[in-house]
Amino acid sequence: MKAINDFVAQFNTSIPLDKSHIVRNRNRYYMLPKNLKQQIPKGFFYAGAYLGAVKGSSFFPSFLLLAMIAEQKANKLVVDKKTAWLFICGRDIFKKGILTENNLKKGDYVLILNEHNECLGFGKIMSNLREEVDNNKVAVKNILDLGDFLRREKRKPQQPQGSKQPQRRDKKPSKSARK
Amino acid sequence: MSSEQFFVNRYKKLGWTYRQVKLKQAIRINTMNADRDKVVERLESLGIVLEKIPFLDDGYWIRKSRFSVGATAEYLLGLYSIQETAAQIPATLFTELEDKTVLDACASPGGKTVQLANIMKNGSVIVSLELKQRKMFALVNQLERCRVTNTAVYNMDAKEASKLNMQFDRVLLDVPCSGNPIADRDWFSKRTIEDVHRNARRQRQILAEAVKVTKDGGEIVYATCSLEPEENELNIDWAVANLQVKVDEIKCHGEKGLTNVFGKQLDLSIQKCRRLWPEQTQGFFVCKLRKQAV
Repeated sequence: MKAINDFVAQFNTSIPLDKSHIVRNRNRYYMLPKNLKQQIPKGFFYAGAYLGAVKGSSFFPSFLLLAMIAEQKANKLVVDKKTAWLFICGRDIFKKGILTENNLKKGDYVLILNEHNECLGFGKIMSNLREEVDNNKVAVKNILDLGDFLRREKRKPQQPQGSKQPQRRDKKPSKSARK
Repeated sequence: MSSEQFFVNRYKKLGWTYRQVKLKQAIRINTMNADRDKVVERLESLGIVLEKIPFLDDGYWIRKSRFSVGATAEYLLGLYSIQETAAQIPATLFTELEDKTVLDACASPGGKTVQLANIMKNGSVIVSLELKQRKMFALVNQLERCRVTNTAVYNMDAKEASKLNMQFDRVLLDVPCSGNPIADRDWFSKRTIEDVHRNARRQRQILAEAVKVTKDGGEIVYATCSLEPEENELNIDWAVANLQVKVDEIKCHGEKGLTNVFGKQLDLSIQKCRRLWPEQTQGFFVCKLRKQAV
C-alpha cells in the first residue's frame, strides 16, 4: 500500500484508495470491488483492478492506476496528436509537442495526456519547461507508455505486468504500426 | 481418400458445399470505455474505413486501413477490441447479465470476457478460467488494456470448475475445439476425425462440469468454431439426454441446428441452436442451454 501511495505522491497528488479493498498477491497489488471481494475464492491469478507490481525497491504501475491518478489534480501535460503517437512508440517528448502543462519543474514526474485527456503513460521532466528556449531539446523522458501492451507480447510470459524497466529504449508498438 | 476430401464430403452431406471464404477483420467497440459513435468517428479520422456489422450492436468490419488496427492509440486505450465476427455472438445471448455471477470457463485470449464485462458495465462478478499458463498472459493483458475490473482469473481447467465452490447464474463455454478450414488454411493437413472425436469427448466433460456449477434456471451458452457435428449438435443432443438442461430459443445470425446428422435423428430442440456456415463469418456453432431444477 505504501508503495502505491509513494508512487502516486510523485505526481503531487493522492488518490482515495480504500485499504480494505487492496489485496497483495505475490508482488502484485489489486483493488477488488465489493462484489468480487465477497464472492471469489483465494488463489486467483489476477483480479479486479490491477494497480501495479513491486520489484525490488521499485513500483511498476498499471495503466489503470495511471488513469486513476489522471482523474485527480496532478502533474500532467497534454501533447499534440503527432507527439502522442511518437510517445506511444516509446519516444521522448520535445517542448514543441506540448500543448498545455501546469507549471512543471525539472525532475517532476508527469502524466502524459492526449488531446482527448486520455492518459498515455508517464515521464520525467528534463528541463524547466517555461525557461527552455530550444524546442528541439528533450523536455520529457518517456518512462512508461501504452505501447508497452504490445511490447509485453514479445517478452517472456512469466514477466509481471508493468515490469518494464524505466531505462529500456527498445520499444516500438509493432512493425505495422501507424506512422 | 485425402483428409480434405473426407471432410468436404461430410460437409456436403450436412448441406454445405465447401469453398474458401475471405474473412473480413472485425472489431467490437467497448462501450463501457467510450461512446460508440465517438470511437467510430476517431477511427474514421485516422483513415480507417468501417462497415457496421448488421447483426451485432457494437461490431464493425474493417473495410480498409493502411495500418494495423491493433496498433492504434484507441486500441491501446481499450476503446475497442479485435474480435472475429462470429465470436462476438455468444456473449450477447445471455439475458439480464448486469447483476449476475458469470463464469467464462475457457477464457483466453479474453475477447469474450471483455465483452461480458462490457455488457455488465464492469459490475457484478466474472470468474474466468484458463488452463494453459502461457495463455494467461494474453488474457490478463487484454483485461488491463480494456480496463476490466469485475473479473477474477484462475489458472484452472474448466473440467474442475466445481473446485471453486461457487454457483453461477450464467456460464459461457467457448470450448476448445477442432477449429475450421476457413480460419486455418492448413486445417485439412492437420486434422483427423480422431481429433474431432477426442475434442468432442473433452467438450462433454466440460459441459457436464458446467452444469454442476450452474444454478437451477441458470443459462449456459455453448460455442465452438468447429463445423463438425460431433462437437456441436451431437454434443448438445447428448447434453439434453444426459444432463439437467434444455435448449433455449435464441435470436441471432445463423441457420437452425441440424436435427438429422448422417442419418441419426436428434432431439428436435437442437434446431434452436445456430450453425454458421462460413460466409460472412468463420464457421461457428452456438446455442443456449438452461439448467432445469431437479
